[in-house]
Amino acid sequence: MRRSVFFLVLASLVLNAADLTLPLKPKSVHFAVIGDSGTGEKGQYEVGEQMAKYREKFPYDFVLMLGDNIYGGESPADFKAKFEDPYKTLLDRGVKFYASLGNHDNPNQRFYKPFNMGEKRYYNFKNGNVEFFALDSSYMDPQQLDWLQERLKASNAAWKICYFHHPLYSDGKFHGPDADLRARLEPIFLKSGVKIVLSVHEHLYERVQPQKGINYFILGNSGQLRIHDIRPSSTMAKAFDKDQCFMLIEVAGDECYFQTITRRGDTADSGVIQ
Amino acid sequence: MKPPTPILVCFVASLVLLGQPQAPVNPEAAIQQDFQKRIGDYLKLRKTIEGPRLKPTASVEKIEHHEKEFAHKIREARRSARHGDIFSPEISSEFRRLIALAMQGPNAGRVEKSLRSAEPEVRAKVRVEVNHKYPPSVPLQSTPPTLLVNLPQLPPELEYRVVGHYLALMDSKANLILDYIPNAIP
Repeated sequence: MRRSVFFLVLASLVLNAADLTLPLKPKSVHFAVIGDSGTGEKGQYEVGEQMAKYREKFPYDFVLMLGDNIYGGESPADFKAKFEDPYKTLLDRGVKFYASLGNHDNPNQRFYKPFNMGEKRYYNFKNGNVEFFALDSSYMDPQQLDWLQERLKASNAAWKICYFHHPLYSDGKFHGPDADLRARLEPIFLKSGVKIVLSVHEHLYERVQPQKGINYFILGNSGQLRIHDIRPSSTMAKAFDKDQCFMLIEVAGDECYFQTITRRGDTADSGVIQ
Repeated sequence: MKPPTPILVCFVASLVLLGQPQAPVNPEAAIQQDFQKRIGDYLKLRKTIEGPRLKPTASVEKIEHHEKEFAHKIREARRSARHGDIFSPEISSEFRRLIALAMQGPNAGRVEKSLRSAEPEVRAKVRVEVNHKYPPSVPLQSTPPTLLVNLPQLPPELEYRVVGHYLALMDSKANLILDYIPNAIP
């Protein structure tokens, strides 16, 4: 009996290790990403469970939230059901969440300490050789554009990652890309060497073909999901719209590895950006 | 007859000009100045009633309470506020002109497309009235950056929000509609 239990445990560890496609290189930056997460429904909780499970193999210290963090209301009960409980295991283990605002979010979320926004609607922070820029794409006024240009120019990070709610490129049927936002932001990204842009709003996963050297991802299905919402085009590299997902990302030197994982623990996409 | 000397011509011309009312060099600038003054008046009022600054907190109750209290105080202080107090008819016309300009030419298609991608429930469910709050269950329509570049800049306490064909002026911390322009967005 004890021997069979031992082999079962060993088998499960081997299976879990095989599911991780990230290399776990020394001194690399590890983080997770979720978007359109705050439903409080079963799918979100199951994604949270997988995130905790994968953290045992891929220890990450922080999570990027791409907006629509809390749907439907902003009461204490909403925050509990749609953020604190689904990610309780991670929060208890000291994992930090860095949120950006979506169109379903009250801007006063910037005062909610566990979102680490520092009272700001847009902000930046650094970890290792990566600098992150969280933007408020619902209200991209000239002051924010000026701030972004200045901060990107001042950054000497090897990797500059911008994340915000509305995608500049999208093959989702429901919303599509925000062309006006693209016209304002893309030139800034190109001038400043931004390599990765993470967005949501479409309730699916999409990896866009690199556009002028910038890699765009949509991860809008960490709680929400719109099945069969993708309309493939030449800009689509990979898409997944059949289940909820989260992402794990590892930045190691001049390589960035990513793995998109479903709520059942399967890999929907993976690869490396150089 | 001898022609009048240049000095005499200038003297007579200056007398004529002094007697006439001065036409504004830039009437739009005067309207925008008026708008900034009304915004300034609101900010002065706001400063007197805001109270202690809200600091980041893990207590959602505190954030919720602060927003509600602040909105209540603003409503009380602006009990007699009416539509047009900030967006006067002249200011509204000027804003409509600026929005129309922003939506012309190469910008037109992409700004329209950005506005059309709004969540359909935004237009149906938000009651645009002075001193009303924006309902938490209704998603925000993103304000296209091209519009924001063309409109008068606001201080960080305030923002322009598109609600259907309305342009609303909101106090974001209090989540309150301060005034609005109907039929601002084509």
